[in-house]
Amino acid sequence: MEAVLKNVAGTAELLAVASLSGEVERWEEPTVSRAFQWARYCEHLCRRFHDNPAIRRVIEKQLRVTNHGLRAAFAGYGDVSFSDLYRCQHLLLVGLLKNPQLPISVMKILFDAEQSEYQEVTGYCSRIIQCKSACKVLSPLADSSAVGADAEVQAEMLMERLGALLSRGGEARHILDSVPQGFEGAAGHFCVVIAAALLMKKNSSQDFLLDWLQKEQSVLEQMCSSLPSALIIELTKKQPKFRDAFCDLLKKWASDMEYSLSEGEWIQTRRNPTVSFDRLTEHFLGLFETCPSVRVDVEEELNALKMSDGDFDVRGLSVWGDLLSVFNKSV
Amino acid sequence: MSQPQPLIQLPQTAERAPSAGELRFWLDKAVCWGQADGPDARKDASLHLSRLKDFLQQVLTHINNMSSTAETLKRLPLLGQFLGRLCWNPYVTADATGRRLLLQCLWGLYSEHPGNAVERTANQWIRVLCQLATEEDDAQALMKKMDIPPKDYHLEVLRKVSAFFFSALINSVIMLTYTRVVLLPSFQMVALLQKSIGKSCSCLGDTNQRCACDNILATSEACVPLVTCPEAAPLISALLQQQVTCVRAALSEDFLDAVSSAYSSRCLSLEEQAVVSLWCHNLPSLEEAVLRLLDCALTYSGPIPQKQLEQSLLPKACAQHCSIFLVVNDIFRSILKQADGTECVKYFVGAFTGCFLREVALQQHQTSVSLKAMFPQSPQSLLLPLLTRPTEMPQQAWRRHLIWLSSSLQRLTQEEEHGDDNSSRSGRFHTVFEAWFLLVQCSHWVQVAVQLLVTSEPEDCAPLLWLLTFYHHPTNRGHHRALQLVRGKEAWDHLHSLFSVLDPPLPIDLLQSLVTLLSPQPQPPPLSPLLTLNLFVNFAVFLQQSLSASTEIVQMVLDRCGLVDGARWVLSSLQIRMNQGDCLSSDTERVHLRIRALQNTLTHMHVASSPAKE
Repeated sequence: MEAVLKNVAGTAELLAVASLSGEVERWEEPTVSRAFQWARYCEHLCRRFHDNPAIRRVIEKQLRVTNHGLRAAFAGYGDVSFSDLYRCQHLLLVGLLKNPQLPISVMKILFDAEQSEYQEVTGYCSRIIQCKSACKVLSPLADSSAVGADAEVQAEMLMERLGALLSRGGEARHILDSVPQGFEGAAGHFCVVIAAALLMKKNSSQDFLLDWLQKEQSVLEQMCSSLPSALIIELTKKQPKFRDAFCDLLKKWASDMEYSLSEGEWIQTRRNPTVSFDRLTEHFLGLFETCPSVRVDVEEELNALKMSDGDFDVRGLSVWGDLLSVFNKSV
Repeated sequence: MSQPQPLIQLPQTAERAPSAGELRFWLDKAVCWGQADGPDARKDASLHLSRLKDFLQQVLTHINNMSSTAETLKRLPLLGQFLGRLCWNPYVTADATGRRLLLQCLWGLYSEHPGNAVERTANQWIRVLCQLATEEDDAQALMKKMDIPPKDYHLEVLRKVSAFFFSALINSVIMLTYTRVVLLPSFQMVALLQKSIGKSCSCLGDTNQRCACDNILATSEACVPLVTCPEAAPLISALLQQQVTCVRAALSEDFLDAVSSAYSSRCLSLEEQAVVSLWCHNLPSLEEAVLRLLDCALTYSGPIPQKQLEQSLLPKACAQHCSIFLVVNDIFRSILKQADGTECVKYFVGAFTGCFLREVALQQHQTSVSLKAMFPQSPQSLLLPLLTRPTEMPQQAWRRHLIWLSSSLQRLTQEEEHGDDNSSRSGRFHTVFEAWFLLVQCSHWVQVAVQLLVTSEPEDCAPLLWLLTFYHHPTNRGHHRALQLVRGKEAWDHLHSLFSVLDPPLPIDLLQSLVTLLSPQPQPPPLSPLLTLNLFVNFAVFLQQSLSASTEIVQMVLDRCGLVDGARWVLSSLQIRMNQGDCLSSDTERVHLRIRALQNTLTHMHVASSPAKE
């Protein structure tokens, strides 16, 4: 255990040196190779221990100590956490590239475009660029998937992680909870990934995900307002739980609507982003088309609500009545 | 906006420096590709890729020839912008050569010791570009939360996207046989197959009907920059192995050329069947493969080992596709006609054909192709007799068989020479050539003839010697054949006498005559020394004489005529034939020992003579 802690501390120091110190000026290919080997070893350690909370805590404690020391030694030092170490090689690479003292000879090695072995340092960056570019070239043509190949891959990986954690009786919420944080710009992307995850072949993690979705109404709302209708319809077809949640959400949206006399239309005032009345009816009708049994239940419910509103047939007095009249027209 | 043309003439290179106009053109293209993202822009980028690479090479040469970055940028101020934009173009960066040239241009612009603001800025900018190359996007931020390294993530996506194409392609094949599914390279692909929709191409012959094969052409075009990407290799293999059942299921020519050059420069590894398909689709790649194998054979220090022939995949490809075999033979014919049949080439053709026939025997499932289809131009009467291997016949029958062969060939040549004016001369010459070519392909019989000559009586030599002479001298130019036959018999007589000597002192005059026959002469002698050499070595190996006596003779003769390498070659080829069981021998162990002993002797001789050569 001693050795492991020493190695982890050493790796954190390595990352600091690589990104912040002038030492790298003297680095050559063997040094860089060794550095990446260390980083790989560290990643391996992490994977071994990430399910072992006791050891993880010990390692995190060590990291806190090391961080403290490194903060004092290096201006602009950013703390390294246990979860950062999963991507140790990438951190090393990014750090090196940001270091203005990195000799051009080392950069040339990293970007070497000749044939390179997968694990070797020579051409490391070149391989990354190659993969990324190849993905970009092929992705536009792989159009059968409604969500896109990258979302599918991410969904698979997400489900795998959840499944692994759940099977060991571990806490899985934190993964999903942590995503929307600090992720505002790509919240829409996350919705696509969740959709992809739910469209996958049936697996146990999906139930967990659905339960989480029902509790995190904001994410569910984001999904239903930003995703294309066709995708939502697919989801309702495949996942009954989602269908129910979606239905409930639609009703909730409806109940939040107020009639605006100036616009002659029902609008949402308290929500953001807003959903228009037309869109709402579109959603309902789409839902009915794929799941006819739902129509009966919903109409019954809406009827009851309309009656409690006074059972008027005039437009603008009850959102339920107006919804029902749209539904009846579309029969 | 016009820039002066660079005045420096690049020394000793045919490439001229890129002009500002050309740079403008390519910059506009790069801008265009960056902005638009539709299929037209993608296609345009793909089509221009090879010209763009040529231009980048020009730029690189130019940068390297300039004395400083400041000067380069002064002459071509848009260069920085141009290179920067290309960094974001996945078609350029996915392709190995494109990426290499682009990066080398950037390094070329980096100054070790920046002397002014321009160069300092350039350095800074290059560093930033490199950082951005590994930047994170939204997807990566998500992956970060899940503790997945970006490299693994990108690889996974690429595999999945490739696999999607793979499954789409599989479904546009009419008949997907069970074996092909089982042999799929990656389990991921198998999993994805289940997801795929059953779109099969059922529009045989009806060109108006839409079919799923339309996307094969598009896919192949899209894959042009990806031929050097290892993860795309299964996809490329799948594209190549598409059954060409539909008129529209054609592969783009650019794609085939790109695959061919990537494969030959070893940037792409393909499965066996994909390589064979590539050869079927693309003639230049097949020609290149054959010439490369031939080159290998000629530079090898001995007769080319069978393993190397098999590894080239050519014999197998020929066995699977008769058309490939026909093309390969045409290449052999033209080489033999030009080189006037050097020994190495003839041996190679024989070895290759032998390997091919073994592959054909292994192909049990395929519908059997008739011999006539495989050898359409050869005289039909000679086909079966020559193609039958000596091992398939009892040894006692060999001599009779060879006598028959010899007389058939003699008849053919006589018809050629004495034919009347009605029949076309070139047509008859053609027949003789084809007969000779077939003999070269089945050279195992020639070697059997040589071996039998060792144990022949003087009266029985004639037909065998004729065969041997014909093999080495197919054309009777200047009517030398009669003289050649005489010389051949002389050689045989000398050898027979020499190797029958029981008492130590070897007759000098016999030795000398033999050496004369073997030595290089100022004027080309009527009889090829290689024929005599072959005979000589066979005598040494197969005659029932004491090893030491044979060794002594070999040493004395080769000392004087210097054909040590040639003799070693013959010994090696004998050994190969022994291993394949083509030699007549009741005592193979003994023969092996003799061959090895003689090889040893020759090695020492070679070593001894080397310092003298220096």
